[in-house]
Formats: sequence, structure tokens, C-alpha cells
Amino acid sequence: MDTLIRVQEADFDLQTEYDRLRVDNPGAIVTFTGLVRDFNRDHVAGSASVDTLTLQHYPGMTEKLLAEIVDEARERWSVIGVTVLHRVGTLAPGDQIVLVAVSAAHRQEAFEATSFLMDYLKTRATFWKKVNAGGEESWVDMHQADRAAASRWEASEAGGDDGADI
Amino acid sequence: MIKVLFFGRLGDIAGAEERKVSVPEQVRTVDDLRQLLGEDGEALAKALNEPQVMVAVNQDLVEWDHVFEDEDEVAFLPPVTGG
Repeated sequence: MDTLIRVQEADFDLQTEYDRLRVDNPGAIVTFTGLVRDFNRDHVAGSASVDTLTLQHYPGMTEKLLAEIVDEARERWSVIGVTVLHRVGTLAPGDQIVLVAVSAAHRQEAFEATSFLMDYLKTRATFWKKVNAGGEESWVDMHQADRAAASRWEASEAGGDDGADI
Repeated sequence: MIKVLFFGRLGDIAGAEERKVSVPEQVRTVDDLRQLLGEDGEALAKALNEPQVMVAVNQDLVEWDHVFEDEDEVAFLPPVTGG
């Protein structure tokens, strides 16, 4: 029934985190790893590719918000272990940036809780990304798609048992 | 004296991530504080008044009519982009 939340500059080892959840003998473990993308590749052709990504956060508040998000996931799904690791500082494309891992008796809870944790982390936890590309720095804007992904959980909560679309 | 923190692009616009501010007595709410800080320049005023900017006092999110105390830590937070 452990929760592990860490914000750190250091990289993390997926196998170590997986093994830590495995000792509780769950029926399922879902792990999600986010990697630094070359953002600019998705957008305007001809824009410089990303050299580095710098992550800023609000020490103390970030950990508190992540704990609240994990509590909310635990209220919704019967999960066993939850691990949330998020890196800060300067990272390069391809680097690991975030890990969410959830163990549960069955896969469905683990899949859904992992997805929920990522959606809420992206829209609620106090992290900010700055891109350095071709010698220019710019802060990343929140994507509408991330907002939409998070709001689907609010709709399902408000929907109740009748399954009505809101 | 209060401690004011500016995160993300707000730090660049404010010219610092942290400021110590002594506030006049009539500045009571975090919205009052936002307007006071905005007197430093149009760019900061505009950025702090963006509808998606949130505010935290002592690391708790609060509404704009929240009344802060002396020695509080007030943080202005643009939309988050982690993950």
C-alpha cells in the first residue's frame, strides 16, 4: 500500500521501480515513462530542433499536489502501490522525464489509475518546461489536448450511475 | 514584508523569480497585490492578469479575494506544463 513520490534531478531506473512494486505480489503492474520529445519537430517546419529542456517546479507545493492527486486516484480505484517520479533541471531529447507506476490486483484499475495520474499531473502539478532550441529559450504552453484529457475524468465523476453524457 | 514568487514565464517578465515586497496597508487581497506588482510595468501587469494565472499563499491555491498576512509567501503560477 505504498506511495512513493519524488521530484529529483537524477535519472531513474525503471527496473528498480518495477521491482519495488512487485514485492507486494500484485496481479498487475502498469508503468508509464515520459521522455523528452523534440517538441519543435511537431510544429513549424524549419524551426530549430530542441537542444535542451529545463524543468522548473515549486519545491514543497509540487510534492503536496502530487500527493493529493495520488490520494484522489486511490479513492477512485483499488490500487496497491503508486510511484510517481518526476525529474527537474536540464534534460535532453530522449531523456526520461516522468515515471508513473501503479500496481493493483487487476489490470483495469492499474491502467486507469496510471492514465488518470498522468492526466492530472500534467494539468495540476506545479512544473514548467522551458525549451532551448537554436540558442533561443521559450516557455512551453499548456496544450488544449492535455486539458481535455484531464477533464474527461471530471465528466466521469459527475456522470454518476446513469451514464448520461454531460 | 511578504515573499513573492514568480514561476515560469512570469519570472522572466518580472525580472526575478523571487521578490521581497513591503505592502501598504490598503493592499489586503492577493488581487490587490497583483495590481500593486503590475504598477511596475505593463508587461507584468498584463501577464499577471491573464485568466489562466493562479495564485498560491503558503503553497495552497487560493481565490483572488484571499487576504494575505505579513510574512506570507505568495506565488503567481502560470499554466503548468509538466509530465
